[in-house]
Amino acid sequence: MTSTTIIERPLRRLAVHSTTTCAAQASTYGRCILATYTDVRKDVCKEEFLKFGQCLRDAMKRKW
Amino acid sequence: MISSVRRFVPRSVRSLASISSSHVGPFAVFDRKAKQLQRDRAAAKDGGKSSATVDYVRDEVADRLLERLEDINRKFSTILDLGSGPGHFARLLGPENATRCIMIEPSEKTLYRDPDTSFEVPVERIHADEEELLQIVEPNTQEAIVSCLSLQWINDLPGMLVQINRALRPDGLFLGAMFGGETLFELRTSLQLAEVDREGGISPHVSPMTDTRDVSNLLGRAGFTLLTVDIDEVKVAYPSMWELMDDLRDMGESNAVIGRRHFIHRDTLTAASAIYKELHGNEDGTVPATFQVIFMIGWKPDPSQAKPVDKKSTMQNVI
Repeated sequence: MTSTTIIERPLRRLAVHSTTTCAAQASTYGRCILATYTDVRKDVCKEEFLKFGQCLRDAMKRKW
Repeated sequence: MISSVRRFVPRSVRSLASISSSHVGPFAVFDRKAKQLQRDRAAAKDGGKSSATVDYVRDEVADRLLERLEDINRKFSTILDLGSGPGHFARLLGPENATRCIMIEPSEKTLYRDPDTSFEVPVERIHADEEELLQIVEPNTQEAIVSCLSLQWINDLPGMLVQINRALRPDGLFLGAMFGGETLFELRTSLQLAEVDREGGISPHVSPMTDTRDVSNLLGRAGFTLLTVDIDEVKVAYPSMWELMDDLRDMGESNAVIGRRHFIHRDTLTAASAIYKELHGNEDGTVPATFQVIFMIGWKPDPSQAKPVDKKSTMQNVI
């Protein structure tokens, strides 16, 4: 399937950025969830995720 | 016109999950059609190369399953391999174990992935759905039935075990390995936490697994005797959650739960990847994935088999 390489690229880039470029923000977010994981509700770590998400958007040069 | 099609195509295939049918019936947990498509796609990708590079889990489990077969002091003329894949188990069989092996596999591309030369014993391939076992083989005909990592996708597991029991001739052997219990609990918990935080709810991304404790009950109820059930773990370290998910897809082990969501939002995915690392990550920066394997051995009853010792005999003086 030739189309897979084209389709995979954005996801692959997202994978790379979320684990390397934005590793610090990812880690802060992860630790926030870890601190509250017995009582997670919607948006408990919204602040941390917004920073992580912003970093990813900057790295991907995209808006979503 | 063309531009609109091109814009549409990536969107529809971009997601990590495939389209689910809406039919839900009794014992319908998994979408078998989607599973077959996933396995076909996985085996066809890069001419089978990407599928072969992710054989590590199945090869390891097949190896451990063979050890259990070799503990049984018997040579079989024919072994039926149910849900054989490209032949992970059949490939390990030598002339000392069996004279020939019949492989049954619902995904045609997976079944024919490897050439005949990779097998030591002659193999026969049957492309059929193993859930319809009794339509493929006659009852009371099989000497030994083996299943290596395919039973976790069977909808009606109790019924499947009954079919296996009926297909066996008296004193026939069933030897199986399936994913169960705690398999992929790291991925399951990470995705659940990410979904709750980001979206406020959870949906099935990792299959429900059979509990180890249930397996011996199921085997007993299906009519097997002389049961042996044990569990084993295969732990694999990955650079991150993304590689794990890529590999699961190449194994053809993507989500196939009926009623699954067709996509995961990228925020949820990235959140899950961050949580996976913080919650379960190893010290060296990799993340672990646990595959728990339930091994089961059962025999079809026959008067010639050894009987359990009568309880009263424990009253006898052993000195």
